[in-house]
Amino acid sequence: PFQLGFQDATSPIMEELLHFHDHTLMIVFLISSLVLYIISSMLTTKLTHTSTMDAQEVETIWTILPAIILILIALPSLRILYMMDEINNPSLTVKTMGHQWYWSYEYTDYEDLTFDSYMIPTSDLKPGELRLLEVDNRVVLPMEMTIRMLISSEDVLHSWAVPSLGLKTDAIPGRLNQTTLVASRPGLYYGQCSEICGSNHSFMPIVLELVPLKHFEEWSAS
Amino acid sequence: MSKAVGWGAPRDAGWALPRPVEAGRSHEGAALEKAVGRAWRAPALWSLGSSAFSVTGLADPGRAAAAASREMFFRAAWSLVLRRGGLGSRGIHSPGDTAHSKGKMPPYTNYHAQRSYPMPDEPFCTELNAEQRALKEKEKGSWTELSHAEKVALYRLQFHETFAEMNRRSNEWKTVMGCVFFFCGFTALLIWWQRVYVFPKKPITLTAEWKAQQLQRILDMKGNPVQGLASQWDYEKKQWKK
Repeated sequence: PFQLGFQDATSPIMEELLHFHDHTLMIVFLISSLVLYIISSMLTTKLTHTSTMDAQEVETIWTILPAIILILIALPSLRILYMMDEINNPSLTVKTMGHQWYWSYEYTDYEDLTFDSYMIPTSDLKPGELRLLEVDNRVVLPMEMTIRMLISSEDVLHSWAVPSLGLKTDAIPGRLNQTTLVASRPGLYYGQCSEICGSNHSFMPIVLELVPLKHFEEWSAS
Repeated sequence: MSKAVGWGAPRDAGWALPRPVEAGRSHEGAALEKAVGRAWRAPALWSLGSSAFSVTGLADPGRAAAAASREMFFRAAWSLVLRRGGLGSRGIHSPGDTAHSKGKMPPYTNYHAQRSYPMPDEPFCTELNAEQRALKEKEKGSWTELSHAEKVALYRLQFHETFAEMNRRSNEWKTVMGCVFFFCGFTALLIWWQRVYVFPKKPITLTAEWKAQQLQRILDMKGNPVQGLASQWDYEKKQWKK
């Protein structure tokens, strides 16, 4: 089967982004249909007008109107942008480092836990697993809790992206980028590296396994 | 109802020619379009032949016939070229673009009429013979005294084509669509060859069995339960929701 549109939102930010996308896409459709209509009416008329024209009124309209439309798009956009940067006191911090061509995760709040996360090659997949998306060690995280992700890279540019949470942050060598993660549902959430990083750029996915807090504690204790 | 006469008429015995045209003139649109269609096949020779014979002005009938037939041949050839140029050139879509109209006209006129500039300053025929000059003198008097044929003749002197002639449709679209489909088919052949000889094997995950297992796995973990895939599955009845 196929899908048209985004994956379901797993965090409140993503829900906001979905609404914003609907709003902006509606504006885009309106503009496109207006332009299509004008073009078709221009092309199918038998009238001609060859004298030079002065068009002050319509020029004013088509300067002011796009400015208004842009403001209408910018206001929700900025609102969501600031919402993403709200202070929210995360309860857990996880560091992820991008390498060529895998991710490594460090949970160092309470103990030292570090592991690498490689993609499972197609030949090793178990039946029913998703090709190019499964990894050997998933990132286990507690759900419904604010988690701070610190993202960086050990060699070249990568980008840590999980679409259903609305996350995409570049992993830049020498720089630490921060993003906040809060998931409202348990489950597996897939993402892929989103910055070209070499030959296996398409083959370093990210899989988040969101579990209730108790299970998370059990897992990290083991 | 030979439309062809219009091409050769102006530089020829303009006086006699409009008579055949006149019949066509009264039901202009449909008749002309039919005439164009037929004229596309029936060469201009025929009608010009008849018209050339009405040219007199040469004293010696025999020589007139010979000269007329030679003239007729050249004019027919020329008008066939014009006709080819007229229908084949894509000028119909933007009828009478300056560039195209220059191609259709003999190159030494100043007549530039376009759909957006339909009444040019210069008349179509600038070299008038004696009859045409006499007609022009008559035009200076009261117009009610002009017969219909004379009015048509004056129109033909002034303009190359009527509006109906200028706006006639062409069969160009058939050519275009034919070429489009041809290239689509050719591309399809190329793609087919590619599928057979170039593409690698499909991965195992694209088999129906694997896809079914994948789907089951996603449903089990309730992927996209809000509005996406798992929301379409009825977990109690174990089937897709209607």
